[in-house]
Amino acid sequence: MAKKQASAAVAIPKQKFSFKKSLENNMGFFFILPWLIGFCVFKLYPFGASLFYSFTDYNLFKGINEYGFMNYKTIFETERIVKALIVTFKYAFITVPLKLVFALFIAYILNFKIKGVNFFRTGYYIPSILGGSVAIAVLWKALFRDEGLINTALGFIGINGPNWLADPNYALFVICALRVWQFGSAMVIFLAALKNVPQDLYEAASIDGAGKWRQFFKITVPMITPVIFFNMVTQLCQAFQEFNGPYVITKGGPQGSTNLISLLVYDSAFKTNEMGMASAMAWVMFVIVMVLTIISFISQKHWVYYSDEDGR
Amino acid sequence: MRNFKKVVAMTLIAASTASLAACGSGSKDNGKKKITLAWWGGDSRHTATKAAVEKWKATHTDFEVDLQYNSWDGYEDKMSTKFASKTQADINQINWGWLNAYNKQANLFMDLNDSKLGGKLDLTQFDEKYLNQCKDSNGKVVAVPVSITGRIFYWNMTTFKAAGIEKAPTTYDELKAAGQKFKEKLGDDYYPLALNELDRTILMVNYLESKYNKEWVTDNKLNYNESEIKEGYAFIEDLENNHVIPTLKKLIGDGADSLDKNSNWIDGKYAGIFEWDSSAVKFQKALNKDKKPEFVVGDEIKFGDNKGGYTKISLAFAISQNTKFPAECADLVNFLLNEEDGVKEMGLERGTPLSKKALSTLDAAGKLKGDMVTEANAKVIANSPFQMDPTFEDQKLKGSTGAYYTTMQNASYKSKSLDDAAKDLVTAINEVLGSNK
Repeated sequence: MAKKQASAAVAIPKQKFSFKKSLENNMGFFFILPWLIGFCVFKLYPFGASLFYSFTDYNLFKGINEYGFMNYKTIFETERIVKALIVTFKYAFITVPLKLVFALFIAYILNFKIKGVNFFRTGYYIPSILGGSVAIAVLWKALFRDEGLINTALGFIGINGPNWLADPNYALFVICALRVWQFGSAMVIFLAALKNVPQDLYEAASIDGAGKWRQFFKITVPMITPVIFFNMVTQLCQAFQEFNGPYVITKGGPQGSTNLISLLVYDSAFKTNEMGMASAMAWVMFVIVMVLTIISFISQKHWVYYSDEDGR
Repeated sequence: MRNFKKVVAMTLIAASTASLAACGSGSKDNGKKKITLAWWGGDSRHTATKAAVEKWKATHTDFEVDLQYNSWDGYEDKMSTKFASKTQADINQINWGWLNAYNKQANLFMDLNDSKLGGKLDLTQFDEKYLNQCKDSNGKVVAVPVSITGRIFYWNMTTFKAAGIEKAPTTYDELKAAGQKFKEKLGDDYYPLALNELDRTILMVNYLESKYNKEWVTDNKLNYNESEIKEGYAFIEDLENNHVIPTLKKLIGDGADSLDKNSNWIDGKYAGIFEWDSSAVKFQKALNKDKKPEFVVGDEIKFGDNKGGYTKISLAFAISQNTKFPAECADLVNFLLNEEDGVKEMGLERGTPLSKKALSTLDAAGKLKGDMVTEANAKVIANSPFQMDPTFEDQKLKGSTGAYYTTMQNASYKSKSLDDAAKDLVTAINEVLGSNK
């Protein structure tokens, strides 16, 4: 120990700066430099700038004339914006559970050794690739119009279908259905999780007389709760950011029944050029998503099972 | 191995720098000088403009023209972002209201009498009263008006005749009677007229102006009170009640982005529109040819004792302050609007031209006689006594979530009373006028 201290006391001779050595030592930094530049320019700067603008009345053409909390005050005092927040919550709380249940259900079926399973897996995944596109949104609109395919099909079985796109009670359902239909990515993650559930648990359970349903709820679901949790959080974030579907299919109508907050952000930013207000709405949305994510993380100790941490 | 790593790292840095550099735009292309021309429109306008530009390029071989064209849908959003970042094209086709909405604050466009233009743009071909409408706050002409437009009725007489009506309606009573006849003879799905939210608002203004003989807005002041505007909403409600127009619920349920794409218009179930005079071709072309539609320009319908309705400069060309080639831009605009070769190619794709030279060129070429757009334009000018206020098309009013849409939907869906609809509209208009001071 004393020897070590003595050697530390010896002055280290000054090393000559070597560009070559420095380059070699910082090679890793250079490799990630393109990403870092992209991150700073396209993420970090807009993130900080939007927070600043949210406290201003910044208009793209009139500049900044006022600073303060006025945008946040306006958000919670304007009926249209409050309604959009409520619609966004409805949208998220309808689509996320439905999508998770649907994705898990299909993944569970596709986990069985059935003939042509790869074909079905691919088929069910395709909507995830196509689903967010404008073309599909246009197709969706054609399907759900008053004399569209859905109502024609319902007519064949004697049901007079509703006016999906024009009835404020049904229009949100059309938008939700488009999102739920894109269950492929969640399904693939569930499928991977299902494959990792140890088979001996099922064998032990069937020896003890547990049926398929009991096995599903008592073994499968608990064992894949980390993946359910992951899918839930990511889907929640995506649901709050949904834009394409309502923008193309209903433009927020009828009567604001599908007017999600993301549409209002777009309107404020690019139609009326009120970047300050758009930034404030985006930040309100960010805080909401963050709070919900924190709640989800806190809640996980009550329902998520991590097998590598003694069950918790 | 280390050298290889270095090479990879340096290549990545160089590639990312190069990709950033590629984001910028040069003004030279293949050794040629480049100018950009931006416009919106339909396919036929795109084809005509491209052909005209090709002719101009034939005499300007050292220039390349980058054409940036699109449909109207979403065009203003795109352009406003470009205006805000001052990255607009060298020559821009602009909506007249944009002079007030964007140029007023951002000083985007050149004075067309500036010496940098080398006197290449002949403004004497345009009437002073129209040029005056294209002046900025300093009194400089910053855009050249191409045509003026207004709303007019167009009818599909084939459906009218099927309903037993031989003559298109010219009075309010005839219009209401047509609604009833359509319902009785053709069924619930047939209507003599179809109006979306914006069409309804413009027709309502037309109705109120013809009833009260006063302009909608003058000197940044709305000239109608809530009670008068409520009458306007009652008029629209009356049209719905008499089966003249479908409810908005029915129209939205059709699932079409615009009326010309609506299958009920295409098949003749909706037999009338109240549209810009220059839009006729688009609606006519959309009709199902198998049904041999007879598409005609309507006459003025008198809703009151006076004439109502407004005209506006439909569109204009403006030259960017940032252009490196102002004289050539002016030359190209002049070619498109005044010179024989350009005018012949452009035809009536941007409405009946205001340029005297263009008008005589097209007349001599026989393109005006019997033309529907020209006929409609003449009727609009004769019957519309007022000019549109530039704030009328403010996005907070006209946008898809603006006051025209929300109040008309609330009235049609009966989710709010007509009193509330009128009150909401007055509040929204006064807010817009307040911010325009």
